Amino acid sequence: MSDLTRGNVPIKSENDIIAARRVVRDLATHLCFGVTDVTRVITAGSELARNVFLYAGAGVMWWSILDRSGDVGLELTFEDHGAGISDIKQAMTPGYTTGHGLGLGLPGAKRLMDEMEIHSEVGKGTTVTVRKWLRK
Amino acid sequence: MTNQNISLVKVRDTLLVTMPADPDDATVTAFQEEVLGAMEKYRPKGLVLDISGVETLDSFFARTITETSRMVAMMGGQTVIAGMRPSVAITATQLGLSLRGTLTALTVDRALDLLTHPHPRRRLR
Repeated sequence: MSDLTRGNVPIKSENDIIAARRVVRDLATHLCFGVTDVTRVITAGSELARNVFLYAGAGVMWWSILDRSGDVGLELTFEDHGAGISDIKQAMTPGYTTGHGLGLGLPGAKRLMDEMEIHSEVGKGTTVTVRKWLRK
Repeated sequence: MTNQNISLVKVRDTLLVTMPADPDDATVTAFQEEVLGAMEKYRPKGLVLDISGVETLDSFFARTITETSRMVAMMGGQTVIAGMRPSVAITATQLGLSLRGTLTALTVDRALDLLTHPHPRRRLR
């Protein structure tokens, strides 16, 4: 039997960004997040999925539904094997970008979600995990 | 390939453009080209961009909108963004988007009013 509380979406093209966005929308709606939180989670997911595509070319979005003693939440992990981030603090500064973006992706996603963790190793890749908890 | 159609209608002196709910990157890119092409073809005074159906405004989409409104301005037209949903406004602000330099209106109706009776202080800084 397949596990319905976790899954993944490969990100290999621009179209996969929208595929990831739709999965996040369905999950957030299914978990009964409010309309604003649904929009926040989708937007954060969209930014992080685009980062994977822009900076690493390809990667995966892992999702899982969390239940920590009754606290329900959604966790999204974006994993790539790209160049990595040499200075995470700098990457978290709004407006800072090494590409052609607005530099809002990482700091923006952090503000939109409840929790965020970044692990990155230069030359090996980056993993960004974000969580949003259902407000009781 | 674009995933959804952008509706583009000329009403009197205004070009009314309606964005689909969840446009992919190709649709967003096509939007810019179609709008600029229609500016040349129909020669409207202004452009109303109806985003009342849009559920997600990420930084790529927002940047394309502000870029397009600057391009439309260079061609001699005025852009008004109409109908942003409350959830989108909250999310866009927290993400750090500003839509700087573009006019906004609550509804398409009000956007048309703005284009007919422009008010310089409505411009976002």
